Amino acid sequence: MIELKNVSKNFGAVQAVKDLSLQIPAGELFCFLGPNGAGKTTTIKMLCGLLKPAEGTIHIGGMDIRTHAVEARRITGYIPDFPFMYDRLSAAEFFEFTGDLHHVPRETVARELEGSFSMLGLMEYRHTLVRDLSHGLRQRLIYAVTMLHKPKVIFVDEPFIGLDPFSIRMIKDLLREKAREGVTVFLTTHILALIEDLAARIGIIVNGRLVAAGTMDELRAGHEIKGDRLEDIFFSLAT
Amino acid sequence: MRNVWILVKKDMRVAMNLRRLAQEQSVFKVLFILLFAGGLLVGLWALFLQGFRFLDMLGGVGLMLVSRLFSLFFLGLGVMLVISSVITAYTSTLGSDETAYLMLKPLTFGEITVYKLLQSAFYASWAFFFAIIPFIGAYARHEQLPPGFAFWTLFYSVPLVLLCAGVGMIVCLAVARWFPRSIVFRHALLVVLAVSLWWFLHGLTRTARVQSDTTIVLSRLIPGLRVASNPLWPTWWVSEGILCVTRHQWGRGLMLWLALVTTTILVGMIAEWLGTAVFYDSWQRVRASGSRTVRRRTLLGFVEPLLRWIPSDVRAMIMKDVRIFLRDPAQWSQSLIFFGLLGLYFLNLRNLRYHMMPPEWRNLISFLNVFSVSSVLCSFGARFVFPQLSLEGHGFWIIGLAPTTMARILVAKFLVALAGMSVVSIGLMYISTLMLQVGWGIRVVAVGVAAAVSLAVSGLSTGLGALFIDLRQQNPSAIISGFGGTLNLVMSLAFMFAAIIPYGMVFHLQMSGRFGPGGFERAVALATVWLVLVTVAVTVIPLILGARSLMRREY
Repeated sequence: MIELKNVSKNFGAVQAVKDLSLQIPAGELFCFLGPNGAGKTTTIKMLCGLLKPAEGTIHIGGMDIRTHAVEARRITGYIPDFPFMYDRLSAAEFFEFTGDLHHVPRETVARELEGSFSMLGLMEYRHTLVRDLSHGLRQRLIYAVTMLHKPKVIFVDEPFIGLDPFSIRMIKDLLREKAREGVTVFLTTHILALIEDLAARIGIIVNGRLVAAGTMDELRAGHEIKGDRLEDIFFSLAT
Repeated sequence: MRNVWILVKKDMRVAMNLRRLAQEQSVFKVLFILLFAGGLLVGLWALFLQGFRFLDMLGGVGLMLVSRLFSLFFLGLGVMLVISSVITAYTSTLGSDETAYLMLKPLTFGEITVYKLLQSAFYASWAFFFAIIPFIGAYARHEQLPPGFAFWTLFYSVPLVLLCAGVGMIVCLAVARWFPRSIVFRHALLVVLAVSLWWFLHGLTRTARVQSDTTIVLSRLIPGLRVASNPLWPTWWVSEGILCVTRHQWGRGLMLWLALVTTTILVGMIAEWLGTAVFYDSWQRVRASGSRTVRRRTLLGFVEPLLRWIPSDVRAMIMKDVRIFLRDPAQWSQSLIFFGLLGLYFLNLRNLRYHMMPPEWRNLISFLNVFSVSSVLCSFGARFVFPQLSLEGHGFWIIGLAPTTMARILVAKFLVALAGMSVVSIGLMYISTLMLQVGWGIRVVAVGVAAAVSLAVSGLSTGLGALFIDLRQQNPSAIISGFGGTLNLVMSLAFMFAAIIPYGMVFHLQMSGRFGPGGFERAVALATVWLVLVTVAVTVIPLILGARSLMRREY
């Protein structure tokens, strides 16, 4: 579902991502891990089409994102760490507007609004302006909005920043459920315990280069590492 | 185009919600601002009408001027609209987080470009219509035109606004995509532009010398007159078209309107095509260019030690604000346009032979120059000074937790604004009076009024910025267009009129010989006392109110 071939990205003299190749099948929950400035957000932005790779190709759902940008965006959803939202639209208006952009029929939008707003505890805030929502409620709203057009691939950048345990649980359950439904989830976070809990496969990027990728067992087996936990694996590879 | 319509509908919903938010404001606030805005429109209308009547008094040349002022007015507005559209297109398209959001949606780059073009046309249009209403009203009254004139003005103005926004978008995308990044190239280009503009203005006077007598006089009075009457300009189609339909010359009027509309559509299509072709690359160049390094020893590095006498906390705030201003192209480029064009115009006053005019004309031009510098100062205060405290945003805790007081922070912001505005405005006014070779009296008054306006606008904008601080809003346009921002602009303009008009009246009465012995000197002294009082009040009161509000506030 996601395929990167020899992808590199430079910012002037700095090479943020170096020769990255990766394949992620449909329905996999893939976690991308790395220290600050390792190239995680750059990679995710290239996957979404916000940044243009200097070299290499990216295919989403079999489509080259450079030549079939609009088609690729129809099947993707992106949740950035600090998402842009229209502050002066109400939660429901923002939801309906996104539905219109993805050409989702109005009846479906109304049904989905009931369903996802109820599930994410947003129902009583549906007519509240986005600017008046708390950080947690805004995050929940962006999840509801992103799932509306039933994307086949979801990119999530640092999804748990500033969230309470209830919201974290809610989002973890949502992402697991989506993966079970066949949606590919590409996730970056620094919370190692959550990655162990969530990820089917893990990729570790250091200084723009993918140094390891696989399941927890594969990572343990592939590297002679003292300790069982992801933290041990991460520290031994990242330092 | 269905997607563009969805986006426009979204903006309409936002506007509806803004109305809802406005309804939550106190009735007094809304009435106050409406009253001020209405008063300003009426004041401008009266001023324009007086201007027309004054030109009438001049006889033949004045009458010719009145008839041609209409096309000159639209040319001026058109040029300003294009410049403001380039800036608006840059900030709302390539400098906006919304664009990144839209790029993640199934929209083509052409659709995003067209939507942003419409958005920038909308943003630019309110100022356009605010400027046009009093002029058109005064012109209609002076020429005794029927009420349909207002409708036809709107009918022709809408395509013009869209056309200018289209040109602005094309220039913005082209510059972002192809403008070389080399510093040497940029500096060289600035020099070439300045020399070209000077040569252009110089050329106007050279050609004027070989034309008929009337044209020479007209060209000396208003150098753009010949340019404004060029039938190839869309702004001329607007002015001529409005006059044609008002006089029931329907065929010619319709032809000019169609020429305007088809040109607008063509420019829109070019913008969409260019957006499809280069939008992504322009975005990459502007937003995805990665981290920038800053040379350790810049010019500011040399300036900082000279400010050692200022307390370190205030100095730190000043240096931070200056650095941020200089590193934000949207800010310094707008300032350069604001003041640079005025500077070039003032430097070319002698090329335009204005200094050879009779003294009363030179005095009048001096006052008009004070007026233009003051208007730019008011816009500058509204655009840059008012939102600066709000733009501290989420970083406000850094200042809030620092071992300093809110009053000192406010003083630092005030000093930065005052230093920037007074140096530029006093310099510009000095050049203007020097080039016009006016007497010392006029020179002192012109420079003094510019200094007073700088002082008052700095105090007013900083104080009101503190009083109406909005730390959640990161978009300067939204801060400026809010209640506080609008109030700030309206009050700045009201102060400007209050400061300039008494002097204008005194010099006008003196020119008409209505003063007895010693009357003129007494009137000037009275106007000066008034200027000092009103300047102190407008500077100090908002600063005190702003400081109190900041100290009472919870963060």
